[in-house]
Amino acid sequence: MKIIAVIAAYNEESRIAGSILDALPYVDAVVVVDDGGRDKTAEAAHAAGAYVLRHIVNRGQGAALQTGTTYALQNLGADVIVHFDADGQMKGSEIPMMVEPIANGEVDVVLGSRFLGKKAENMPTLRRIMIRLGVLFTISLSGIKVTDTHNGFRALSRKAAEQIHITLDRMAHASEILDLITAKRLRYVERPVTIFYSAETLAKGQSTLKAVATAKDILKKKMFGE
Amino acid sequence: MVFQILLTLFALFAIIKTIGQYRRSQVSKYWLVVFTLLWAAVVLVTAIPHLSDMLAGYVGIGRGADLILYCAVVVLTYAVYRSIVRDQKLSAEMTSLVRAVAINQAQAPETEKNI
Repeated sequence: MKIIAVIAAYNEESRIAGSILDALPYVDAVVVVDDGGRDKTAEAAHAAGAYVLRHIVNRGQGAALQTGTTYALQNLGADVIVHFDADGQMKGSEIPMMVEPIANGEVDVVLGSRFLGKKAENMPTLRRIMIRLGVLFTISLSGIKVTDTHNGFRALSRKAAEQIHITLDRMAHASEILDLITAKRLRYVERPVTIFYSAETLAKGQSTLKAVATAKDILKKKMFGE
Repeated sequence: MVFQILLTLFALFAIIKTIGQYRRSQVSKYWLVVFTLLWAAVVLVTAIPHLSDMLAGYVGIGRGADLILYCAVVVLTYAVYRSIVRDQKLSAEMTSLVRAVAINQAQAPETEKNI
């Protein structure tokens, strides 16, 4: 069974190698999509042993994940796609645990959650509140029962990855994926994952203001469709 | 009188600009005609203000200036809407294009695992 990790990276030259090396022991290949950044992310990713794709123009995280996923399906014959991060917030050693329910044929999608018992380290209170609000917002719109709607750690079976085509290029893709899981009647399960918040990742991460733009993208899609 | 002169000068400037752009094939003949007629109408209405008042009375609006304002708002709103739609379409096409180029020029690692 071919497991491919897909990483969307934007200006991550200092962190990307760490993420790739962290994931590589647990997958057959890592695909990095450099989303039109200005630094040497692509070179660093290549040196660390990943397949490297470059967006010549920045298109957003959703678009980059879709590019990497399409490549993994079409060109690398992936059986399982794992969406992973570029900056060391996730743990590669948790990939087998995320893939297991798919390998057993129990579900099509495994979603990482920061709110299943353990595991969000150093998460600031404001971030926690914003994420909880995001969960409420998304659940009330899509009706899917999950504890964490905007966790970037997820595993998709080939079948699921083929059916989930991300069209929201920016940050609202996480909600779009949940909607597609419901719409396509895919079987899913949540697994607790460790997400580590460092000063560095917090400095560049999702601002609270950006949440508003994301909510706007989701509402637009909800009300006006494709 | 000052306003009429300024507006007429601007209209002339706009028409000349459009003709120039048409010559350089930057706008189609269709838009050349539409814009020229539009600016000509603007000059006509400013030169003979009671013309628009007559027209306004005919469609049931008090003043000619109001009629022009209403028309302008409708036309501009529609133009903005069209431009938003086109922008979204372009954005989706751009993503497809960027994706195709990325996949086409993908770089495999030097040492591949068992793949």
